[in-house]
Amino acid sequence: MEELIISIDNLKEIARELFNNDCRVIGTTAENKFKVIDDPEQLILNPNSVPTGSSFKEFFFPKTEPLFFYKQNNSSIDLIDPVIDKSRIVVIGAKPCDAAALPIISKVFNWDYKDDLFNTRNDNSLIIGMSCHYNDEFCFCNDVGGSPENRKGSDVFLKPLADNYFKAASVTPKGEAFIKEYQKYFEKDLGKNKPLVRKEENPNHFDYDKVKTWLDNNFENKFWDTAGEMCLGCAQCAFVCPTCHCFDIVDEQNGSCAGRRAKNWDACQFSLFTKHASGHNPRDNQEKRYRQRISHKFKYYNDKFDEILCTGCGRCSRGCPVSLDILQIVEEINSLSQKSNAI
Amino acid sequence: MEEKFEPKIAAFVCNWCTYTGADLAGTSRLKQEANARLIRVPCTGRIDPVFIIKAFENGADGVLISGCHPGDCHYNAGNFHARRRWILFKNLLDFIGIDSSRLYFSWVSASEGKKWVDIVDGVIDAVRAKGPFKQYKKMNKEIEIPVAAEEGVSVK
Amino acid sequence: MNELKQICKDALSEKKARFIIGYKEDKNKRIKPFIAKTPEDAEQLTFNHHAVNNLAVYLPRFKNNVEGKIGIVVKSCDLKAVTALIQENQIKRDDLFIIGVNCSGVVLDIAKEFNKDNTQIKCKYCQAKTPPYYDALADESKDFEMPDDDQAELMAKIDKMTSDERLEFWNAEFEKCIKCYACRQVCPMCYCEKCIVEKSEPQWIDTSSTARGNFSWNIIRAFHMAGRCIGCHECERACPMGIPLTLLTRKMGMVASSEFGYRHGMSLTEPTLIGTYSTSDKEDFIK
Ligand code: SF4
Ligand code: SF4
Ligand code: SF4
Ligand code: SF4
Ligand code: SF4
Repeated sequence: MEELIISIDNLKEIARELFNNDCRVIGTTAENKFKVIDDPEQLILNPNSVPTGSSFKEFFFPKTEPLFFYKQNNSSIDLIDPVIDKSRIVVIGAKPCDAAALPIISKVFNWDYKDDLFNTRNDNSLIIGMSCHYNDEFCFCNDVGGSPENRKGSDVFLKPLADNYFKAASVTPKGEAFIKEYQKYFEKDLGKNKPLVRKEENPNHFDYDKVKTWLDNNFENKFWDTAGEMCLGCAQCAFVCPTCHCFDIVDEQNGSCAGRRAKNWDACQFSLFTKHASGHNPRDNQEKRYRQRISHKFKYYNDKFDEILCTGCGRCSRGCPVSLDILQIVEEINSLSQKSNAI
Repeated sequence: MEEKFEPKIAAFVCNWCTYTGADLAGTSRLKQEANARLIRVPCTGRIDPVFIIKAFENGADGVLISGCHPGDCHYNAGNFHARRRWILFKNLLDFIGIDSSRLYFSWVSASEGKKWVDIVDGVIDAVRAKGPFKQYKKMNKEIEIPVAAEEGVSVK
Repeated sequence: MNELKQICKDALSEKKARFIIGYKEDKNKRIKPFIAKTPEDAEQLTFNHHAVNNLAVYLPRFKNNVEGKIGIVVKSCDLKAVTALIQENQIKRDDLFIIGVNCSGVVLDIAKEFNKDNTQIKCKYCQAKTPPYYDALADESKDFEMPDDDQAELMAKIDKMTSDERLEFWNAEFEKCIKCYACRQVCPMCYCEKCIVEKSEPQWIDTSSTARGNFSWNIIRAFHMAGRCIGCHECERACPMGIPLTLLTRKMGMVASSEFGYRHGMSLTEPTLIGTYSTSDKEDFIK
């Protein structure tokens, strides 16, 4: 297949066309936040930028959404399904650590119950990923099976070239169809624009297999007494994370005879998360809740779905009010695993 | 033709003074407008500001709070505690953008049936003039049944 | 800093404190909260411009678990939270071993260097760089350049708005809220075992991040902070959505002081604002 390139201006033109065709175009703007783009000029694709404060999961799995509405109708109750927004979602310029999250959480949303709400959006989406030239002390994509060039989760993948050009390649049939659809905006690569290169390779921090084996054998370990000791149990980490997917279901009234049942983000760091109706709470302190967070990410999800529930984006650590750094915690586990030989 | 707007007023009143005063207004057959829904609480000290918020959430265009005159509280100091809270809450609401044209306070004793009528009518008139509390109702949008969804009603 | 280490080491080895809640530097040079349990741990304790956390937030955890004193490292502003917790009967003065540090200002953004533009506004109004009381005192405070108070400008701007404009302003801010409750969890004054938003019979505040749920949550949180907020700025720092939360709590602090001449966390014995009343409180708004 011939190699294609595209200029930033043409990407904006695609965004404009998509927007005019009632697509939801998601991209990053000058504030470095994922937003629905209504003015393509706002769109900024910067491979050197730090991952956004929040991931773009809210466009697939919103912070709150209705499951159904109810209304009293004389002696019966009407149940009304919400309208699922079927418009196409196109994310432009997702970092590999963002894009990779969708196929990971898709597994849990299609496990024993197929979540229509998530699936509709996911099926109608197209992800344009872009290789990443950023790296800081919180990043660790290459330790969890990713890399700054990883195409997992992307349908089309861009590589930055000189003079605001990008090398474009389709990753999935969906991406191929997309490039065909908008082929007038792509140009043949004549090798004029040199690829931009990363300044340095990302360092490696830990050996995932060793960490996993340690976690398999150390549910009760005194390490957990101090690992999450300073955690405050806010859920900043879970809510900004691209792979955290827990939700709560609540009923909410509107006036006296109507209301809705809603699905809201929830997180294992909340003390109420595991509290039983009886009052008993199996995870009755923050240390246990923190152990759950780490174990779910690096063990349970892998046991169940063969995926690490973390893409190494480092968001949770960048934003943690007490600077609890997930990478440092896993590194500690890594060194413990070397000492104890996993027993 | 536009229908005349009839405001909904939630009135939180204490059991011992204002509720009895309102009762007196009734037994004395004084005429008053019917837009206020009375919610009886043991004491103004029992009124958590979250009640006021809840009233607005459920469609109130105005809220009236009324209790015993200072010194007359059945529980001695409930209304003094309440007054302090109101000062703070009123200032907070004001800073957030819900001003005193939506929130009213009064002291009405068990013998002031006439005062109660005057206050209620005054509040209703003022809120009617102000119009519906659209800005707050707008916040309910996500909880309301979307019009497009109504068609596919499934009955249980 | 060595002085701080020495004080803490001695306090731990002489059993003046069971453990010490302080700050340490991690391998990325970030300052984070840390509990030193042994004299050796005390070696890791440190303090500098990046020690922003208000460690008083950890105290209510030990409310029912006091055997031997709890050591805590505090800046002058953090001490207000400690005082407030004592006033509100959450902890006893006698159960604490307070290690005051002389402070020379703290940063706004922990990822950046300390300078005039990266200094918290509270530092500008700090009346005592030395905590007013303590069991031990460490460090020297140095002069530093005061930041501009752009929050006061914003507040003046809001004061000039009409009610509708204000409502619109706050709605646009609250809309961003994702209900992570980080603002509550970092707040030393939010220690309720069951927060009002967790009360579900009935559900007073919607847990959903709808416009309605966010509005109610943020108003009620601000109300619960009225006259109780000690101005540590932790809520706003922790909010991942960048909502100007201290604008509200600061405003309420100003109301508490103008209406009642009250400031929380300034005296160990004064009754709390909401816990008491005066027969002469203003009532010109009550008919
Ligand atoms: S790890 Fe940090 S962000 Fe996550 S709950 Fe704990 S304190 Fe909050
Ligand atoms: S756990 Fe942290 S590093 Fe991993 S995906 Fe979530 S936010 Fe990113
Ligand atoms: S409300 Fe915010 S500024 Fe006030 S005490 Fe709590 S965390 Fe500190
Ligand atoms: S918001 Fe109010 S109820 Fe919730 S923890 Fe804070 S003070 Fe307590
Ligand atoms: S920290 Fe910010 S986003 Fe989180 S609940 Fe508080 S106001 Fe909302």
